[in-house]
Amino acid sequence: MTVAAGIGYALLAVGPSLSLFTAVISHKPFLILTLLSSTLAWLMSLIALSAVWRAFLPFKTVSFWPSALLILTSVAFQELLRLFLWRLYMRMEEMLDAFADRVSKPRLFITDKMQIALAGGMGHGVAHAVFFCISLLTPAFGPATYYVEKCSQMPFFLVSAIIALAFVTIHTFCMVIAFNGYSEGSKIDQYFAPVVHVAAGMLTLMNLASGGCMIGIPLLYCLAILTLAYCGKMVWTRLTEIRSRQGDLY
Amino acid sequence: MEQNPRPRSVLEVCGEEIIRIVTPVSICMVLVVILVSILNGDSSSNLSSITTMATIAYTESSSDSIWDKLKGALLNSLVFVVVVTLVTFLLVLLFYLRCTKFLKYYMGFSSFLVLGFMGGEIAIFLVKDFNIPVDCITFAILLFNFTVVGVTAVFMLKMAIFVTQAYLVVIGVLVAYWFTLLPEWTTWMLLVAMSLYDLAAVLLPGGPLRLLVELAMSRDEDIPALVYEARPVIIDIHNNNNNVDSTTPNAQRRVWRRRGDLDENEGIIIRHDDSSELAAPLIQHIDIPPMNGNVEEDSNPVLEGIGLGSSGAIKLGLGDFIFYSVLVGRAAMYDYMTVYACYLAIIAGLGITLILLAFYRKALPALPVSVMLGVLFYLLTRLLLEVFVVQCSVTLLMF
Repeated sequence: MTVAAGIGYALLAVGPSLSLFTAVISHKPFLILTLLSSTLAWLMSLIALSAVWRAFLPFKTVSFWPSALLILTSVAFQELLRLFLWRLYMRMEEMLDAFADRVSKPRLFITDKMQIALAGGMGHGVAHAVFFCISLLTPAFGPATYYVEKCSQMPFFLVSAIIALAFVTIHTFCMVIAFNGYSEGSKIDQYFAPVVHVAAGMLTLMNLASGGCMIGIPLLYCLAILTLAYCGKMVWTRLTEIRSRQGDLY
Repeated sequence: MEQNPRPRSVLEVCGEEIIRIVTPVSICMVLVVILVSILNGDSSSNLSSITTMATIAYTESSSDSIWDKLKGALLNSLVFVVVVTLVTFLLVLLFYLRCTKFLKYYMGFSSFLVLGFMGGEIAIFLVKDFNIPVDCITFAILLFNFTVVGVTAVFMLKMAIFVTQAYLVVIGVLVAYWFTLLPEWTTWMLLVAMSLYDLAAVLLPGGPLRLLVELAMSRDEDIPALVYEARPVIIDIHNNNNNVDSTTPNAQRRVWRRRGDLDENEGIIIRHDDSSELAAPLIQHIDIPPMNGNVEEDSNPVLEGIGLGSSGAIKLGLGDFIFYSVLVGRAAMYDYMTVYACYLAIIAGLGITLILLAFYRKALPALPVSVMLGVLFYLLTRLLLEVFVVQCSVTLLMF
């Protein structure tokens, strides 16, 4: 509605990510580079998906099954990309350890590895927020606003910012959980990320029904809080287990 | 919880050089996008009045067919590239004849023109847009002071490095904004043509920029040009006690190293004796400012791996700043989604170029990879991604 509103919507979607960035990532150049590369990788996944789906869009009537198919294929593709990013990350870890040996610095700590996973996940979240929410905010800086029929209680920009915030949280912490799962071989952790991702995507299908966003969005937030809590618990148990093993934790 | 502070992890060290170059490039791009959004808000109707070297051959108007526009844009960029090549050869000749003083004065003069006239013009647009109450005399005095400080920053090597860097970024922003005023097809064609020219000029044996670099190297001189030099980082390797490491998170000393001499600070010895400091950048004279299209790095050959020498000072020519920002500014004239996509593409291209630089250790053209990736992502976003994302978002389907 004005510049203030536009900035408000943008901060709603990426505010917590910005705080996380300033607190954790901005001090370490390597994490900034990881964030940028991760955002680029997820952008490329979105472009690939749009290349495949371009011929079928825009939908003339938005119905359930085509949308469900769209979301399922997109989530499947992105989860495959996550596996691929894990392989890349293992290669990167070896290179970093070799570099650390050469400059006689300590090798990667477990917190370092988790921070890299966090930066990677935040890249995913930021890519989502930027392309699904913020790049559409340009009209919000002007004098009017826009409402969607199916969810007419709030302006479209506000709804998409709220959904984007939930997704940013989910993506950021799912990556930490997934990388931890791959490195430890824990099946629950490995399957957590894809399952939550599919569930979140399916929940947004509720927005197709009139008034569906009133139910869908709170459920989405429940999912986001679940991801946060699970990630916190997993990190805590991992760190205490290592600390008790080593007796000294950096 | 911790008895002694933890030693600095490798995450804090690795990649610092790249961030030191990516940050000013990003700032330049953001400023150009903001300027374009504020000032070019209305349609580009005043373009036909601008006759510049880049539009001599053909003035684009929106009623032409696509084929005409393509041909016209090609003609325009060809003319531009030819002029730039001629001027660069002239520069090589002057450098060969040791007219360095003349070149430096010309550099200062062109900075004066860019900062004074272009900067003044943009400031006047901003004053008009925001109705800032300022009178002519105050404005003239402020502008004059600003310009003179900028010229001395470019001229004198002993200025505070932050001021020099800031003024170089400002010059880049101003020239890039001016370039975004060109017609659309001409701009895109020009970007592609300049990146091809950069590739040829730096890598081909007869290329003017390569001759310039070799001349400068053989004489062990700096090329007189507008170059952004990131502050070099020195890793303290010989310091065995952890005191320096633990005091602040950024306990590394920042040193502005002048050419050829090394500073020795208390307790910290710079390990690398860098005698092969390559002079980086290469000038292309367009109508006003000298520009460069090149990336350089001096670093110790011992440190490899991620490829960033600890004493490396990466230099990026101002022409690269300008053309990256022109690309992003043009993308901003369409929509912000293309801006984000092009920004990521350009940073990726810059990263790739820097990695190649660490590999090959000689002057490399910084334009081609980034501009080609940027143009590719612009097209992909505009044609493919936008429809997909808008379809998903408007129906509130997200994943």
